[in-house]
Amino acid sequence: MTGLLQKIWMEVRWPVLWLSLGLGVVMGLLTALLPKVLGNIHTMFDKMPIVKPLLIALLGVDPGDQVSAQLSQAFLWVHPTVLTLLWAHEVMYCSRMPAGEIDRGTADFLLCQPVSRWQVYFAETIGWLMSGFCILCVGYAGHLAASMSVQPDMRLSVSHTMMVMANLAAVYLAVGSLAFLISALSDRRGRAIGIVFTALLASFLLNFLAQFLDWAKSISRWLSVMEYYRPAIIIQTGLFPWSDVAVLLCMAAVLWTAAGVVFRMRSVCTV
Amino acid sequence: MSVVVTSDLCRRYGSRRGISDVNLTIEQGEIFGFLGPNGAGKSTLIRVLMGLLRAGSGASKIFDKDCWKQGSVIRRDVGYVPGDVRLYPWLTTRRGLAMLSRIHGRDLSCAGMALAEKFRLEPDLLVRKMSRGNRQKVAIVLAMAHSPQLVILDEPTSGLDPLMQDTLMACLREMAAEGRTVMFSSHTLSEVETLCDHIAIVRDGQIVEDSTLTALKAQAPRQILVTLRPEQVAAVIQWPEFVSVKFLPGMNSQQADSSAALIAPSLRERTCLLQLLGTSAAFLKWAAAQDFADITIGAPSLEVLFRRYYEPATEAVEEAVS
Repeated sequence: MTGLLQKIWMEVRWPVLWLSLGLGVVMGLLTALLPKVLGNIHTMFDKMPIVKPLLIALLGVDPGDQVSAQLSQAFLWVHPTVLTLLWAHEVMYCSRMPAGEIDRGTADFLLCQPVSRWQVYFAETIGWLMSGFCILCVGYAGHLAASMSVQPDMRLSVSHTMMVMANLAAVYLAVGSLAFLISALSDRRGRAIGIVFTALLASFLLNFLAQFLDWAKSISRWLSVMEYYRPAIIIQTGLFPWSDVAVLLCMAAVLWTAAGVVFRMRSVCTV
Repeated sequence: MSVVVTSDLCRRYGSRRGISDVNLTIEQGEIFGFLGPNGAGKSTLIRVLMGLLRAGSGASKIFDKDCWKQGSVIRRDVGYVPGDVRLYPWLTTRRGLAMLSRIHGRDLSCAGMALAEKFRLEPDLLVRKMSRGNRQKVAIVLAMAHSPQLVILDEPTSGLDPLMQDTLMACLREMAAEGRTVMFSSHTLSEVETLCDHIAIVRDGQIVEDSTLTALKAQAPRQILVTLRPEQVAAVIQWPEFVSVKFLPGMNSQQADSSAALIAPSLRERTCLLQLLGTSAAFLKWAAAQDFADITIGAPSLEVLFRRYYEPATEAVEEAVS
């Protein structure tokens, strides 16, 4: 297993480092700037009515005409740049194996070593969890550092932040597991990445349309990952979203297991 | 002891043929040559043996273990060089050996570096900066560093220069001498002929020949050049049925076989080119009574034999298959 982890380390260390730093900087900037920007959001609601449903779709709650300082911090955790960086990392990571290995022809070398496919899959999973943990921690560190420049009453409490991060980690697990499954079913990495990003985009779009259309609302409950990630509600109520996290973890477990089984059973053809 | 055994092994790629009804046995210590034209199914069989492809039907076993279900156990004692070597761009020989040492749970760096030196590899050169031949050498070193009991090489000499080909052949012979087994796939007859002692020929996914080199050579035709005395007339000589006449003095280019081009024009007046289908003893007995000026009997030509399988389906092939 350590040999496999060494291989993963050689492959992902630089992308993980850069994405972590990127997320740290973005979260720091957003933490410092969002309260100022969102303080005058009501003028934007008047000028551009489309902004409000978009904000509701992202936050999962109607902020009213005035966005409170703490609610503006919730926007940080659903900001498209934050989610894009996090998802970009895991979609890139989880599509490396087996789709990426087959695509570039290195699967022959990897899978002809004296390791079972489950071992390869476990090693990849360990790398995925560790890199995700690293990226989230650096993102949090950026947020924490920038919080120092924000007035104390505008800062999020540590317990609220941890609850939001736990919910985000559950989203990370569900999306990564989906990427693993698509990768296990595919021989082309580009195709796997395209499918997962399309699914995420569709999930986002569905969440947005649910603000206007009833049919989208009913589908969104089942198909949109954003339906189970609502930091604004966590911050408003101070309650841990057990049901949302449970749904996301179940989804992750099912998809992750399915991906492992598919990878174990499939033929690998690089020629 | 049989190292590799397959029985009625089939594998298809959707509607495309892969291999069908492959029955093979490779004994310990053998250098087994697996010969066939491009697309014949050599790599498919090897990939089934390595557990990369799942067989449609039939059984494949290495060290008496199922190749699909117990692949990871089998691969502890197997080295594999794929036909199209693709390695990680960040890999170097040294890094590869360190990685494999961890996977195998024992230090392979000494044995690996000795092999790298033999193949004149720079241990710290990145794969992405290597030529195709050097990447091939890295794959060979990484496949053989753990001293496997079975080495499977899929067209390993492509990209290697002649000196490195010789080094590889010497390594494989050493392995076989130590009782280890080599499975060597190629579409180049000469390298299989010089290296292997057991040969299987695959064509259209089926094994059409599976025999020892000695037995194949006994079947293989030999070229015979007969130089006539000035008073002898080729056309009136009663050639025995176990030779086929390729060229006789007086034949025009349409009548003669293409191999007649081998005879120098100055010798065509008195030289006959024959192909011997049996053993040379019978021919020598017959020739002794003929009083020819000279006779040259060539080595058995496996190429002629193999061409019968390589060329598009003919009656000869159908006969051979049946």
